Amino acid sequence: MNVVETSGLAKRYRSTWALRDCTLAVPAGRIVALVGPNGAGKTTLLHCAVGLCTATNGNITVLGDLAPGSLDALERVAFVAQDVPLYKYLSVRSMVAVARNLNSRFDQAQAEERLRALEIPPDRKVGKLSGGQQAQLALTLSLARDPDLLVLDEPLARLDPLARHDFMALVMAAVAASGFSVIFSSHVVSELERFADYLIVLARGRVQMLGDIDDLLAGHAMLSGPVEESDLVGEQFAVVQTRKAARHAELLVRTTGNSELPSGWESDHVSLEELVLAYLRDPSASMLPGPLTPDELEVSEVT
Amino acid sequence: MATVAASPVLPRRREHPVPWKAMARVTWLQRRSTLIGLLVLFVGCAVAIVVGQAGTHASYASFVANGCVQNSFHTPCGNFENWFSDNTDLFSAMVIALHVAPVVIGVFVGAPLLSRELESGTFRFTWTQGVGRSRAVVTTFVLLAVFVTVATCALGLLLNWFAHPFEIIGIESQWQSGLFDTTGPMLAAWTLFGLALGTFLGSLIGRTVAAMAVTAAIVGGLLVASFVWLVHQLEAFGALATTRRMPMGLGVGQLNLPGSQFNGPVGSWLVRAWFTGPGGKRLSSAAANNVIGRMYDAVKGKVIVDPSRWLSVHHYIYWVGYQPASHFWIFQVIAAAILILLAALLALATVRLVRHRA
Repeated sequence: MNVVETSGLAKRYRSTWALRDCTLAVPAGRIVALVGPNGAGKTTLLHCAVGLCTATNGNITVLGDLAPGSLDALERVAFVAQDVPLYKYLSVRSMVAVARNLNSRFDQAQAEERLRALEIPPDRKVGKLSGGQQAQLALTLSLARDPDLLVLDEPLARLDPLARHDFMALVMAAVAASGFSVIFSSHVVSELERFADYLIVLARGRVQMLGDIDDLLAGHAMLSGPVEESDLVGEQFAVVQTRKAARHAELLVRTTGNSELPSGWESDHVSLEELVLAYLRDPSASMLPGPLTPDELEVSEVT
Repeated sequence: MATVAASPVLPRRREHPVPWKAMARVTWLQRRSTLIGLLVLFVGCAVAIVVGQAGTHASYASFVANGCVQNSFHTPCGNFENWFSDNTDLFSAMVIALHVAPVVIGVFVGAPLLSRELESGTFRFTWTQGVGRSRAVVTTFVLLAVFVTVATCALGLLLNWFAHPFEIIGIESQWQSGLFDTTGPMLAAWTLFGLALGTFLGSLIGRTVAAMAVTAAIVGGLLVASFVWLVHQLEAFGALATTRRMPMGLGVGQLNLPGSQFNGPVGSWLVRAWFTGPGGKRLSSAAANNVIGRMYDAVKGKVIVDPSRWLSVHHYIYWVGYQPASHFWIFQVIAAAILILLAALLALATVRLVRHRA
């Protein structure tokens, strides 16, 4: 089952296209990082997935075949929006009561236990909590809904490094306990590798890169060698990015073939941050899953 | 042998009962201070009306005991009438206060209902919870509507009770626009309209202060228009006509006076008066005033016992258009139904806006 599946999804706000021809399928049981520069369409895609926006063109379904925003979908999809919009004038206890009454499934004991563990005072007004505590509260309310899919829009943006760590630790612990799927958008590319196992890169409203992070990293390499041979090496590989100095060149390439490197050239692993940044720097480059090869199809059918 | 294929088992859609109790708790938690403020206002108005009514009770009891209801022309009745005329301050204040109630509710309950959510972004929390955005909005609106409608209906009924002695004595009438719009059903209908308009404008504009200002302007403007013009127009609709012998003090054109044994059917509401001349043709205002002038000139220096005699000699007939007392509740139902219909349309438009807001 795919937790989110889109086909030619497009969303226009007046004359601006926030998403264009966005086709993707996110398998269940993954922790998905949605990455892209400002205005790439990350929030729009997530809003479409939780029913906060309707597509201009194309289709989107969640948790198999549910329409986003339908009652069946809302019961199973939890969302923590950017800037954590909670009722600031309510106490934490009242905020929990509001969330409990807005949902047919809500584990209040679990929520209260988590808040106790996080040392968030139940009588304090939500607006008086720190940014990190507000984010933790929003996450706690979402987790208490026992979701099948948790959608987090820029959850780390306002948090300091310690709060970011605590926040993601809470997410990872809940995933380990319940096994639900997570999609989170983030600007903090350096920390993605520790949490996510699946990556979607959006740029200018389109999907630029999509796939299992391990596969994506295995499919790319950083080649370095004499600058005068860089063009020759570049012809053997699909080059994503080229960096040239006076005597030395670095090529970030896809390693789909078995091309041998000339002497003097070295191949190194690429980090996720390098990979993402390279693709973001060149919006024309894309890395999308193609049709399954006969071997892959056979494996897929057997499993 | 024929075989029957088993029909495929279709997945059953889960039923989602409307969580009224849960939404009532959410509404209370989210809007506790507004609801407490409203409750204080409502109770304050109710106490003021009860105290005011108790203050008039002794004088009205004496008025009744002296037989003034049947015949108000003997001596002590005039004193009671004067007392009531001198003690209308609290009554008038309550009429004004209840007129303002629909504006207050539209501005402070209706307008912020969705605009505050949209402005602060909390709609992204509420509309993504299991209850669903349409049901969250509809249940909250219905719960608030029931609360303010019942409360203002009760206040309107209390005001009618307060107004009763003033009406019997002849100082006030429920047909007058002030009291017409503040009966129980009409006040409730105006309040529902104010709430629905405020909610609609809040969802349309998405800015709390702007939505409050526009709501205040529209609901306030319509209430003023109703007070000054609309109620008179409604009451003139389908008026019955009768001839009167005594046009003294009435004149022609719009009247808006209670009928009595002298100027119209008892208990009726006189809405307008006019003359017809020889041949039954209706006279213009200028021509009617000319006739009245000629009549006074003809009887100058004499005591006018019966001006209708001069009028009948000259083939003029004085007509009064009126609404019988039995029509009062028909007009109330019509006016309230129009407001409730508008409120329902605004509520539907709000749900549509919310559903398609993306």
